[in-house]
Amino acid sequence: MAGGILDLARAASEAALATEGVYSLGTGRYAEAATYEGKEKVSGVVVKPDEVEIHIVASYPLARPIPELAQLIRERVAPEAGSRRTSVVVEDIEVAREDL
Amino acid sequence: MRIFNRIVVVLLLVGLIALGAYTVVYSFELFGRKLSDLSTALQGFTSGVEGFASDVENGSLPILTIALLVAIALLGLVLLIMELKPPRPRRVRMQRGTYVSPDLVRDEVSSAAEETPNVLGSSTKVEAKRRPGAKVNLQADVRRGEDMSAVKSDLRERVQQHLARAGVPLSKLKLKLVEADPRQAKTRVQ
Repeated sequence: MAGGILDLARAASEAALATEGVYSLGTGRYAEAATYEGKEKVSGVVVKPDEVEIHIVASYPLARPIPELAQLIRERVAPEAGSRRTSVVVEDIEVAREDL
Repeated sequence: MRIFNRIVVVLLLVGLIALGAYTVVYSFELFGRKLSDLSTALQGFTSGVEGFASDVENGSLPILTIALLVAIALLGLVLLIMELKPPRPRRVRMQRGTYVSPDLVRDEVSSAAEETPNVLGSSTKVEAKRRPGAKVNLQADVRRGEDMSAVKSDLRERVQQHLARAGVPLSKLKLKLVEADPRQAKTRVQ
């Protein structure tokens, strides 16, 4: 399945970024959060055999509590993730640019 | 656990160094030590061990030795339990499949603390637990002469409300208030 993992990572990344309240994708705190295949990588999404882990930076002020935001992301990403379960890791909160 | 591994490795390395030193000293007959003396030294050691074993069998060990052996056994038990405990997670678990970084929780707690009247500054430590929620240790600098219990209860309420708004579960909140001079407060002066 050439490009399967990367395609999934890209789709998950786009779905997460399209969710209201997501400022950007995170890069990982203790280890880089990214999916690699060949010479390409998608940052902020880690595709594992049974799990898709999405690292995000939430927008401040929070549009909704973090668990609700995570649930929204999970619902958007689930169709792309297939049988893999989806985890959301909120790494930080950033003040949205228009609020600066 | 790192301390257990370090103790084992340190003991192992000390043993190896001692063994190496003995080998050099006896091989080159330094300090008047000869390889032929080694058997005498070993005999002394084995007779010591035999004496100890017979004391154990007869139940005639000195109280100090018994206390030392019990202390070693307890230390070993504590280290073994600590070694067997699974490592603490690095992220704060919120609910199934949702995690936040401890730094984010720390920032939220600090911001809630520093919005509290009479709090001049704060320092926060956050520990992720295996169960959902974070353990938070918050130390707040409070202006001298303030009613500490009132500030503490206000601070607790604000931190809990702030985290609840963000949806971050709190497993334990430990507060420590320290009287501080506003002129020396690092973060701000109210």
